[in-house]
Amino acid sequence: MNNFFEKIAELFSTPAYIESLLHGFLLTIQISYFAILIGILLGTIIALIDVAKPSKWLVIPKFICSVYTTIIRGTPMALQLFIMFFVIFAFKGFPSIITAIIAFGLNSAAYTAEVIRGGILSVDSGQTEAGLALGLSQRTIFFKIVAPQAIKNIIPALGNEIITVIKETAIVSMVGMYDLNMAAKDIGSGQNMASYIVPMFVAALFYLATIYIITFIVKRIEKSLRKSDLRAEA
Amino acid sequence: MENKDTDLIVKNLRKSFGKNKVLNGINFELKEGERVVILGPSGSGKSTFLRCINWMEVPTSGEIYLDGVLITEKNIRKMRRNLGMVFQHFNLISNMTVMENLTLAPLKLKLMKRDEAEKRAMELLKHIGLPGKANAYPASLSGGQKQRVAIIRAMMLNPEVLLFDEPTSALDPESIEDVLSLIRELADRGMTIMIVTHEMSFAKEIATRIVFIDKGRIIEEGTPEEFFSHPKTPRVQEFLKKIL
Repeated sequence: MNNFFEKIAELFSTPAYIESLLHGFLLTIQISYFAILIGILLGTIIALIDVAKPSKWLVIPKFICSVYTTIIRGTPMALQLFIMFFVIFAFKGFPSIITAIIAFGLNSAAYTAEVIRGGILSVDSGQTEAGLALGLSQRTIFFKIVAPQAIKNIIPALGNEIITVIKETAIVSMVGMYDLNMAAKDIGSGQNMASYIVPMFVAALFYLATIYIITFIVKRIEKSLRKSDLRAEA
Repeated sequence: MENKDTDLIVKNLRKSFGKNKVLNGINFELKEGERVVILGPSGSGKSTFLRCINWMEVPTSGEIYLDGVLITEKNIRKMRRNLGMVFQHFNLISNMTVMENLTLAPLKLKLMKRDEAEKRAMELLKHIGLPGKANAYPASLSGGQKQRVAIIRAMMLNPEVLLFDEPTSALDPESIEDVLSLIRELADRGMTIMIVTHEMSFAKEIATRIVFIDKGRIIEEGTPEEFFSHPKTPRVQEFLKKIL
């Protein structure tokens, strides 16, 4: 046990280790942030195409979206990452961070689309009918009635997806990227501390703290969106 | 504009859901000031008929004219302003306060200015005894309160016809009376009304005409007196025997 505390002291008193950890953490955050952004943007588009009323203009887009989500959700993330690295963006000099962002962004979009689609479909059809019966346009009905109610259903699941992406980015160490996970492995290796337990423990704390903060923010947003529910008044 | 005294004409209205033919050629006329109650066994198509009138369900074929104008996909939005609808499950917009529910359509359709719409909404709320609920969300209202707000929401647009789709079916007995007396009051003021209901005594009391639908067709219509006391068709006789 003494050894454990000595190792902690060693890690935190060696600027190179701290720097490596922060460096790795920064990469984890960068990939996650932009991947989630792409995921939400693309996911929203896919979801909207999916829930839109069928028309001849949407036959092909709807088909593409369904094939896309099926493939993404039906194959391992690690394999998708490999395909991006070793097949699609295999040419020299292409920044690996961009490849990783695209890989995770495209993956997250498929899941986010399902979350948003589910959120929109869970809004009672009577709400739309009320708008129609009052002579409102589809646009007004969507933005004033359906979307605000859907968001309440979407936020908790979207928070989950964000957390999943952050944790999943740890697999970029498999293609040699220096993220938080890789930093822990590097610091613990033979050339450095020659003990994995402390750096990996500290890396875990970094992930935990990040996810804790995100959970907190999501809960806050959920609460503020609930003002029209009875639950909030109770 | 010639036949101003006829509000609504329905010609050979048919509606199918896939292979299921729900309406099989309905012909119907509604004149200004009439109060038509639509009766029929469950699954007869009476709610579908009502919902086809303002295109909540798009008719499969047939024509509907409001004041001589054929309802089409192009003009339906405008026509709906004159075809107010009250639903079984109220359908108040849950992310909006009572006041926002009332003023949404008049403001979005640019029919009233904000202060004008809010003043009118407040008058109507006072009228139904709920001025204190203006800033409440629907979730905090009782069923009867929700339905009364839904009725005045439809009235905000001054429709020519009010369509009621089983307005009391989701309410407790006490609330039913509150809602019925509000409908009664609209009737007394000359509002043109179509109503699908299972409240037979209310139907008898309020209707100027009863329409009986079975298997997607109107099989008998007449005054409440004729309908309830001297039913002509065996189907209606059987129906009345079961319920009275």
